[in-house]
Amino acid sequence: MELKTHFLYPSTLFFSREPFIVNTILGSCVSLCLYDPINRTGGINHYMLPFWNGEGLASPKYGNIAIEKLLEKMLQTGSKKNNLIAKVFGGAEVIDTKISQFHIGERNIEIAQRVLKDLNIQISGQSLGGKNGRKIQFNTETGAVLQKMIARQGLEPKK
Amino acid sequence: MVTDDQLLQELEKRFRENKESLLQLQKMTSELKEVNKKLEESEALKTHFISNITNEIINPFAAILGLSRNILDVKKENWEKVISMVHLIHSEAFNLDFQLKNVFAAAKLEAGEWIPDIMNVNVNQLISSTLDSFKYEAAKRRIELYYDFDVSPGIEKSFYFLTDPEKLKIIISNLLSNAIKYSNSESEVKVKARLEVENLYVSVIDKGIGVSEKNKKIIFDRFKRVDNGINSLNRGHGLGLSVNKAILDLLGGEIEMQSVANEETVFTICIPPGERSVNYDGMASDGNEFLFDNDGDELF
Repeated sequence: MELKTHFLYPSTLFFSREPFIVNTILGSCVSLCLYDPINRTGGINHYMLPFWNGEGLASPKYGNIAIEKLLEKMLQTGSKKNNLIAKVFGGAEVIDTKISQFHIGERNIEIAQRVLKDLNIQISGQSLGGKNGRKIQFNTETGAVLQKMIARQGLEPKK
Repeated sequence: MVTDDQLLQELEKRFRENKESLLQLQKMTSELKEVNKKLEESEALKTHFISNITNEIINPFAAILGLSRNILDVKKENWEKVISMVHLIHSEAFNLDFQLKNVFAAAKLEAGEWIPDIMNVNVNQLISSTLDSFKYEAAKRRIELYYDFDVSPGIEKSFYFLTDPEKLKIIISNLLSNAIKYSNSESEVKVKARLEVENLYVSVIDKGIGVSEKNKKIIFDRFKRVDNGINSLNRGHGLGLSVNKAILDLLGGEIEMQSVANEETVFTICIPPGERSVNYDGMASDGNEFLFDNDGDELF
């Protein structure tokens, strides 16, 4: 049977008990896929900046909030933290810059790695950094992620 | 061999570098302090919000209940009394509905579960009906509402734009509500819409008190209200503009403000056309298909 699909917008997250195929496009943004092999459920976020700095709404646009909210969702639906597997994608530097504060991709990656380490969740797959955007496709039932790199020219990757 | 001069130069260089990194560290620390302060403030405002919301919901409901009871008791020959009471009921209910919509919008945005639902929207109709819903609020303070649509050649009088109508309506309602709130009575609020290089621009213009330089930085923060003193005439939770900002992020849009105190304040939003929502068959309609052939795909 064909699985339902969902296109994941930046600043949002997705979780469903039903199996889904989730598609998203990443530039300097990072997506964290959390998968529970026991329940065969998974969730994914798509954040644009590492930290919420108190401005605007505390939405999953920011890594620290997006990761926490996704984990909360998984735990609420009966997943155990110890069973979870993480896969992390994105964080490319699609804009050339020498100023370190602007290395958003790098900082987005760092927060995912740091938070996952603190939570003791193992990263079982990742494709991070570089200069190209990525298209990823996450199967929430199997936890498999397909990835296609986006050439720098042509399609402008989303943030 | 290293000469004394070279040694001195090297030393000086290292001192300079040290000093620079110290400066950078100090800068970072002060930035961190700033952020920390903001987070603390935000938390305090949130607590304040929760304690206030009971009043903000219960009071209008009490007013609505009381007034409708009064109407039920009115004798037939005094029916004219009813009109003013109905006006009050409408006003209370309208405000309550508006506030609650913002609270729910903020909750959904913070949960990250509100996604754009893009369709072909008749923008003129949407703006006109939004303006219409505010007409009694405006009339209370004798404020005239105008709607101006820039008709450029080639664009029909009623034009369609690919966007999320529910979210666009919330954005415009928030701008209108603020414009009316901060206007002087007996003035006017204007809404202008135009299409420019595919993007939709909507401006809301009022001739009210304006936004000071100091406040320009904080108006998009949640729960912040420029006049949050006890004697403030204006109700509301200070969620409107932060909701607007987050919705615009979702739609890929921008918001800008220009304000001259006591003369004119203009909020302008710019939204690019959205892509139609992805259908459940896995295809996006606008060249956004995910073609995963096995060529060059990596599996994780």
